[in-house]
Formats: sequence, structure tokens, C-alpha cells
Amino acid sequence: MEILVEGLRFARDRRPVLDIPALRIASGGVTAIFGPNGSGKTTLLRLIAGLERADAGTIRIGPALVEPGPAAARAAAIAFQEPVFLRGTVRRNLDLAMRLRNVGHDERAERVAEVARECGIEVVLDRSAWKLSGGEARRAGLARVLALRAPVTLLDEPLAGIDRVARTHLLDDLPRLLARFATTTVLVTHDREEAFRLADDLVILTGGTIRAAGPKAPLYASPPDVDTAELLGYTVLFPPGGPVAVPPGGLRLGEGEVGFDLAVERTIDMGNHLHLLGTIAGRRADLRLPSGSAPPMAGTIVRVFAASRVALPR
Amino acid sequence: MNDLLRGAAQAVQLLFSGDRELYAIILRTLSISLSATLVAMLIGVPLGYGLARGRFPGRTLLLGAVNTGMGIPPVVVGLMVWLLLTRSGPLGGLGLIYTKQAMLLAQVVIATPLVIGFTAASIQALPPQLPDLLTSLGAGRLRRLWILSGEARLGFLAAIMAAFGAIVSEVGASMAVGGNLRGSTRVLTTAIVTETGRGNVPVALALGMMLLALSFMVNLVLTVVQQRRRS
Repeated sequence: MEILVEGLRFARDRRPVLDIPALRIASGGVTAIFGPNGSGKTTLLRLIAGLERADAGTIRIGPALVEPGPAAARAAAIAFQEPVFLRGTVRRNLDLAMRLRNVGHDERAERVAEVARECGIEVVLDRSAWKLSGGEARRAGLARVLALRAPVTLLDEPLAGIDRVARTHLLDDLPRLLARFATTTVLVTHDREEAFRLADDLVILTGGTIRAAGPKAPLYASPPDVDTAELLGYTVLFPPGGPVAVPPGGLRLGEGEVGFDLAVERTIDMGNHLHLLGTIAGRRADLRLPSGSAPPMAGTIVRVFAASRVALPR
Repeated sequence: MNDLLRGAAQAVQLLFSGDRELYAIILRTLSISLSATLVAMLIGVPLGYGLARGRFPGRTLLLGAVNTGMGIPPVVVGLMVWLLLTRSGPLGGLGLIYTKQAMLLAQVVIATPLVIGFTAASIQALPPQLPDLLTSLGAGRLRRLWILSGEARLGFLAAIMAAFGAIVSEVGASMAVGGNLRGSTRVLTTAIVTETGRGNVPVALALGMMLLALSFMVNLVLTVVQQRRRS
């Protein structure tokens, strides 16, 4: 279902947290709310889930206005950043969640079996939910929200706090799981890779306001401003012709059309390449050099150029 | 050691001697303290829940007061309740002084802070996002309260044990407001004081052992419930 936000304002302890004049999240896809820590991402998600009351404005899911408080027929289901469980087995936790949403007995059993199989938590179904590893707890929390098959599934940092291997596997599995169990998904992340791998659309949030929103490819191809470009992973530089966004690996050693002086700070041997770190006019910049090449000394200044770049509006 | 053994032997002997007065004392002790525990739970659980989950000015102060109350000497409670209920006191007209009801009141005052404290602690020990989770799943206020209580039930059982243990073993308040009247307000603890005063140390010891056994039996039942629910 489509989510429509209008004139939304939210403050905590008189400190403004969110100010969103208008936002439309399309029905049927995966949208990532992407931004740095403290930008209000989680608050926006909790507002959509009906766990917070806005100071002004409205949120609609489909035709229905989101009213804070419990509602069994609620369109949205949320998985928190920290998976939290009741006492008892994983099975009981999944079952209770569906029972609270008025899913019938037989269907609950079917859904538990299916979601457990798909999420890879069959072996822990009858284990205490409090004794799961970080990765298992993540998947169990995810299974619980997916089992609800809510029209809108909200995931707060679905990959936070698990080890690298578990994260890689879950990142691989998530698109398939969302496609199977969720209709419209909104997820919150501060991680660029997650946002790009999981989402169709991005909503870029900084300081409680939306900097950009829309399908990820055009957004990445032409970032609307400097902050957005930096969030998307570009190095933003300011040559005389106006700001440019340089994608990762876009800087090369040598002379080119748009050249800069890079003050070398250090070189890290990454095994298969050298990673050169430094600053250009006070802004952090980095480039890759082939392994085995003689790196410039720290403290020296080298000429680099932007082999690929996107011009930003001034 | 010899005295203790003799006390134990005498306790068994007394218990099976068919002494009606003794049985009455045991029953009275149980009924007053169990009733007081029940009343304290009825008052203390909601207050403890409110204190744990509520956010209001003076909450910390209140928690501090409750924590102090958990360690209040029963004899001080006895004195306060006595001042309240004595013939010339503000509630003297009720004629409750030196009755079982007065003892019950004093024991409730002793037990309630314990129940509040244990309840608040066990509710606070739950994951803080649990209420949000239940709300987001659509659980209404009562349903949420019910589920959260289920989650905190080990704490509630601990509250019962602490409250019952404290009041069944206290002597100061029962003496002050009950008066240790033979046949009406004498309970195990005050009987022990009486027998000791009379020089009947073996009888006092026997009564003490009965008190311990009684307390153990009640706690055993609660512990069994607690541990069974846990698995």
C-alpha cells in the first residue's frame, strides 16, 4: 500500500526531530530511508508504525490514517533494530505475534512452518528465543514480522549488530524473503551497501528533513546536492568550475581535465591494492593504486584528476 | 546443640500432642500473614507497575521511599499503626486495636513496599521495547498488561515470598497492635516471646522451629511454582 506523509512535524523534548512537508512511498516496492545516525530515520519509521504521535501532519497507509496506539487491523508491522522477544520458544513468539493480529490457529501453524523454512530458522524454532545468537535472533525477528504478511513491512536496520558472515548471508537472502512475504517494505539503514542492494527507492534523510527521494539509479546518477552526494558515497570536491562528485575509485594519479593537489597522509597495503589516503583542499579523498607500485611518501603533494565525476548544482 | 535437638524433639511432640491452642496459633499465624500478603499484592503490584513504567515528576523520590520502606523495622510500623488505632487515636473509634484486623493492617503496611519494590524491579528488568512490540502487534492496554505480567511472573513470585517471609516472622508490629492476647491475637512469633519470657526455652524453641517449618513449606510451594513455570 502507498504511504503518504503530509506536513509531518515531530519534536522530542522541544527539540525538532522531523520536519517532512510531503513524502510519498510507492506501493509494492522496497524503499530505504537512508541517512546518518540521528537523522530521524527510526522516528519516521515509528511514526508510520503508529508508535509515536506526530506534533503536526498526517500519515496515511492506503486510504487509512495512521492513528497512534494498538490496532489489530493495523496495516504496518515493524521489526525493531534490537530484536526483542517474549519468554519462551521462537515458535511461541511467532505464534503470539500472529495471534495478536487475529490470524486463525491452523493458518498460524502453516505460516510458522513456511516462514521458518524460508528464513532458515527451523532448527531454532523450539529453542528459547532468549538464547539465540545475534544472527539467529535477527532472522527470528525478521521471520516474526514477515509471518504477519502485513500490507506494509517496516524494518529498522535489519542487518545491524550481527557478525560479518551472518550479515552477508542475510543480505543475500533478504531480497528473496521480502519478495515472498512482504508487499510494501520500508527499511531504515545508514549503510550505503544495504540501501542499494535491498531497495528500489531511496529516501535520503539528514537532520530530520528529506534531501532527496526517488528511484535509486537516477538519484545516484545525479545527486541533487553536496550532502546527498557525500551520503551516496561520492567524494565532493570544489574545483573552480563548480562542485563535482567523484565516485569511489574515480580519482587517478596524474594530470587530467579536472585536476587537484592531493596531500598524502598514508598508504595502506590492502593486499591486492594500495589504498592512498589524503586530503584535497582540506576534504578527505582517497584513491587506489595497483599492488606493488611505489606509493608517494606521506607528507608529499601529488597531482590527481577525476577520471569520472558528476557535476553538482552550485 | 543439645538444646536445639531437644527443641526439635519437643516441637514434633507438641505438634502431635493435640494441643488445640497451638493449632489455633498456627492457623491464626497463617491466615493473618497470608491475607496480608494477598492484600499487599493487590495494592503493591499495580503501584509497582506504575512506578516501573510511568514517567512523572517525583518518580525517583517515590522509588527511593519504596526502597526505604522495604527495610522499615516492623516495630516502627507497629508503633505508627498503634498510634493510629489506639482508643484516643484518629481511628480509635473503629475499635480495631488489639485485634487480628489491626495485625493484618500492620503487616500489609510492612509487606506493601516489598511487593512494590520487587514488582517494579521485575518489570524494569524486562526488555524496554517489549511494550512497543506488543503495541505494534495490536495488543490493547489490558492485553499488554496481561502479557507483561506473564513475563514478570518470576518477580511476582519473589515478591510473594519476600512479603510473606517478612511478615510471618515479624514480632514487633504484631506485639504492638495485636497485644499478644491469648486465644485471640497470639501468633507464633509473639508466643515465642511469651514462652521465652516465662523461661520455657524448649517450648519457645519448638515454636520457633514450627515457624521455620511453616515458612519453609509456603516458600517451597512458591518455589516449585516458580521453577516449574521457568522451564
